[in-house]
Amino acid sequence: MMSLIDVCCILAVFLALTVLATHRIVGMIKLFALQSFFLSLVPLFLHAEALSGRDLMLSLVTMVLKAALVPAILFWTIRHISMRSEIKPILGFGASILCGAALIAVAFWISLSLRLPGKLTSSLVLPCSLATMLLGFMTMVTRTRAMTQVLGYMVIENGIFLFALSLFDAMPLLIEMGILLDIFVAVFIMAIVLNHINEEFERTRGSAVSRPKWGESQ
Amino acid sequence: MGGKSVILSFLIAIPFMGALAVLLPVRPLFRRWFFWAVSLTHALIVTFFWALRPAPEWQGYLVLDPLGLILLSVISLLFLAVSFFMIGYFQYEQRGNRIFTACLLALLSMMTLVSVSYHMGLLWVAIETTTLFSAPLIAFHRDWKSLEATWKYLLVCSVGIALALMGTFFLAIAAHDTHTLLLPAILSAAPSLSVNWLKLSVIFLFVGYGCKMGLAPMHSWKPEAYGQATGMVVVLMAGGLTQCSFLALMRVSQICYKTGLSDFYASILIVTGILSLVVPAVLLLSEKNIKRSFAFSSVEHMGILVLGLGLGGLGIFGALFHMVNNALAKVVMFLTAGSIAQKYGSSRVEDVRGIIHTYPMTGIFLIVSLFAGTGMFPFATFHSELLILNASIISKHYLLAGSFVLCLAVIFIGMARIVLAFVYGQPTEPVLAKKENFFMNTTIVVAAVVLLGVGLWMPVSLNRALHEAVTLIGAS
Repeated sequence: MMSLIDVCCILAVFLALTVLATHRIVGMIKLFALQSFFLSLVPLFLHAEALSGRDLMLSLVTMVLKAALVPAILFWTIRHISMRSEIKPILGFGASILCGAALIAVAFWISLSLRLPGKLTSSLVLPCSLATMLLGFMTMVTRTRAMTQVLGYMVIENGIFLFALSLFDAMPLLIEMGILLDIFVAVFIMAIVLNHINEEFERTRGSAVSRPKWGESQ
Repeated sequence: MGGKSVILSFLIAIPFMGALAVLLPVRPLFRRWFFWAVSLTHALIVTFFWALRPAPEWQGYLVLDPLGLILLSVISLLFLAVSFFMIGYFQYEQRGNRIFTACLLALLSMMTLVSVSYHMGLLWVAIETTTLFSAPLIAFHRDWKSLEATWKYLLVCSVGIALALMGTFFLAIAAHDTHTLLLPAILSAAPSLSVNWLKLSVIFLFVGYGCKMGLAPMHSWKPEAYGQATGMVVVLMAGGLTQCSFLALMRVSQICYKTGLSDFYASILIVTGILSLVVPAVLLLSEKNIKRSFAFSSVEHMGILVLGLGLGGLGIFGALFHMVNNALAKVVMFLTAGSIAQKYGSSRVEDVRGIIHTYPMTGIFLIVSLFAGTGMFPFATFHSELLILNASIISKHYLLAGSFVLCLAVIFIGMARIVLAFVYGQPTEPVLAKKENFFMNTTIVVAAVVLLGVGLWMPVSLNRALHEAVTLIGAS
């Protein structure tokens, strides 16, 4: 069963890299949903010999929240705000892949010097979660659209989630659920704010109201 | 003791129920008084805690220790002030207050949870939830700039707090043998913690919660959010939310003290602290918006808190005392700024001048805010800043002490420049010519008087609680 966790970890990194290289927002959301789906399977393989109700519960809640509801909210948002693709990505396809590969290398290099105490479920969990986080950061930094920044944030959260699974026993289930719920609500509120921004944009389109440029406000 | 105590859970539940209750379609006037009633109840219960500390609840997840008690009292006081101010403020506001009041009450509930949570994971959940409930409050005006500010706040703080989550997990690895993140368990297992993981955890926790606190390199959301939110919301953010994150930093400090990492942590705190003093000092000099310049002052005060915590000993006492004073000063500053913004429809220096001629009371309040906010003599902020300066001299950080004083002086000049431009000069016409409001003015006066009073004579019980709290962090 060990190997199945490894497969999930590698898939998570691979999908994070694909998110980084994709320019269509719909595609990014789908990739993110797929990544969340694979991550939600990880708790099932944690205790190979006996599947506890707790593992099942965590897996199920993650699947519903991250692989279904969050992508649904994001799809709802892009339907409302009519944006389909990144207009001007700061980095092109090739450059994104190259930087992503470098980041993955950095993640593996860092995790060489970090030793997880106790019995480790899989040697790939730590480097893969770090790599996913770094790729998420990269997505946030290199994209200019608000929507892609949210996706970058979610990829970071997925990386952290993967890491959290490796120290399952320190967190009671209730707290784990609280964390998941918080992240879900965060995306929900971001979607609402995005929607308001869009309404405001439509309302002031063509009128004399001056719109501030991004990042400059008085 | 007989029976299980539920008072802490009760204290968290009341405002949350209240938040659900105000979502019902009732008259806006009812919501304002209801909010005030809930805040008053909260304040009364917290006052009772000063006489009798409640027992731990939920298997030790909820504990009220002296650190938590100080923060909880500050929060309770802030909400009491804001709810009273709001009764007057909304007399002139056309916008509905349904979501606004609901979010405020939910925020009260979550901030209470922050101050009593004794589990590092629960603490993270509570602080993240405060971010989420405060975001709709910033977007209250729903125009371009406030939406932009909300977006910036949400994104920067969410990413920051995600780093804090990572730090919490690193802490869980460092404390692998305890199998829990309950604070007493970590503290008692301190000698067996893995130092490398703990160092990594401390860095992540500091960056994460420091981002939420608005310390210098991570302060970019602050001028935007404070510039756009209404004065009442900013009071709760600058006095309450940021200090909730400071509580998290103090919890880290507790762990560092027990594990002998104090020096490592102190160096991070001192460097960030002094940076948080230099940055606002530079940026304040060219600022033209009163709320934004007060926001820079908030960055400065966070820097002072962190500096005090880093210096240790007397500095920690000063920092804890400064928590109380900073909150009171923020009430005076931002409520005044909020009432000006409402009267003139702007908080920029081109639109507002000569307040003292049009609204004499508000003009005086603005001058009082200048003195309270920059730590001038009769106000308690002066004393706590002096304590921290003293701590840096005792610990032989002479260069630090020098730059501390220099930054405070430059900040005073920057603040005085903009405040005096607002108060004096050729009066500009207010957009909505209105009378001074009883509720609004009373709140500001009471806060200023309390700040003055604490500066002249510190209550014995406050002094004792501060000393108890200091011993928790580890200085004698």
